[in-house]
Amino acid sequence: MIGIPTALLLGTILLLLLLFVAARGSVGARESTSRSDVPLLDDEAALDPCPPEFVARIFSPDDWKFVSETGSAQLEKLFRRERKVVALAWVHQTSLAVRRIMREHTQAARHSHDLQFATESKLVLLYAELMLLCGMLFLAIQSAEPQRVRGLAVYAGTLSQRLAQAQHDLKTITAGREFHGAS
Amino acid sequence: MLNQLVSWSCIALESVLLFRGLRSKLGSRYPAFYTYISFVLLQDLLCYFAFRWIHPLYTYIYWTTEFLCILFSCGIVLEVYRVGLSAYPGTARITRKVLGLVFAVALVKALVSAANDPRWWLEATAKDVAGTLRAVQGIAIIALVSLFLFYAIPFGRNLRGILVGYGLFVCWTVICLTLSSSVGDNVHAFLKNLYQVSYPVFLVFWLVHLWSYQTNPASEVEVPLEREYERIAAATRRRLHDVRGQLAKVVGS
Repeated sequence: MIGIPTALLLGTILLLLLLFVAARGSVGARESTSRSDVPLLDDEAALDPCPPEFVARIFSPDDWKFVSETGSAQLEKLFRRERKVVALAWVHQTSLAVRRIMREHTQAARHSHDLQFATESKLVLLYAELMLLCGMLFLAIQSAEPQRVRGLAVYAGTLSQRLAQAQHDLKTITAGREFHGAS
Repeated sequence: MLNQLVSWSCIALESVLLFRGLRSKLGSRYPAFYTYISFVLLQDLLCYFAFRWIHPLYTYIYWTTEFLCILFSCGIVLEVYRVGLSAYPGTARITRKVLGLVFAVALVKALVSAANDPRWWLEATAKDVAGTLRAVQGIAIIALVSLFLFYAIPFGRNLRGILVGYGLFVCWTVICLTLSSSVGDNVHAFLKNLYQVSYPVFLVFWLVHLWSYQTNPASEVEVPLEREYERIAAATRRRLHDVRGQLAKVVGS
């Protein structure tokens, strides 16, 4: 009833997932390995998504215009290089913050007694969208000027804020329910 | 000669696996898996004797026991879910929904495909049906493993052995059954031999992982709220101690 392409696709996905599980030894090791990805910041709160004004500023064309008006080619070159590094750092930080939020969420969610399937699905989709956006932004910034992807960056910034807020709300509600359940 | 060697090696390995399961008390922890292995051992013996002495009935006996084996093997997927997620009610809840969705989609797809091609019910061979059932199991395992990975559920060595070994076996079976239905006789014979030879490899894999009982990694049962409460309680106790000290000083002076 299933065709050869479907069987091969199914087999490949299953094989890759199982090899991943086998190679990792223990899926639980993910927590410890992913913690080492976190940059050299002791305070994890410092990894919260940047405020929207900050994002708009990094990707704003105003600074670029100002530097262009000086007419210094060397300054322009330096500005372009520096701004690219700052934009890439922002993408990296946003991606780390999003991953940290999801890690916190999954750690809390797996013990929760009243997890909602619809809410979880929305969060997973939001997470997937954000990771895809971060990947796209990373490639776009490498190949073009940061100010050209301003719209995408602002959108990614807004989404990451929304994800952080959703996770915070969910945590508060879950903690509240557990507290009432315990009392 | 090769067939006989494979058959006897499978019977020997399954017997050792069952013996070790009883010895290490793994049988009571993973009843569905050991029931499946027992049934496969019974099937191997039945098919061997049927092949030797009642050859005309061999095909019927083989496919009947094969379908029963597939039914028993569904228990393994449920057992992985039950044992792996016993300490994680949140993930268990989501997994139930996802598996329900997977089975519903598979059922709807099967009904739609059968409605579009009514001849399938008449012409489908036992191999086609077995392939389809294994494919549904494969999809269920993909969903289960994805959720285990997403929620970072830790596995013990025993459970990981059962899941990875059985998942690889299902993956291999789906590919072999699908390919063998649509290739020529020579390739079909080659695939059949390859399929038979590969089964002892899975048994060895299980044997290595299930030789002795190993506990699942300690689950983080303590909820964050409780940790938070303990932290606040400790801070309050410290402050009360300080206040009591200051009060004693004031009263004393």
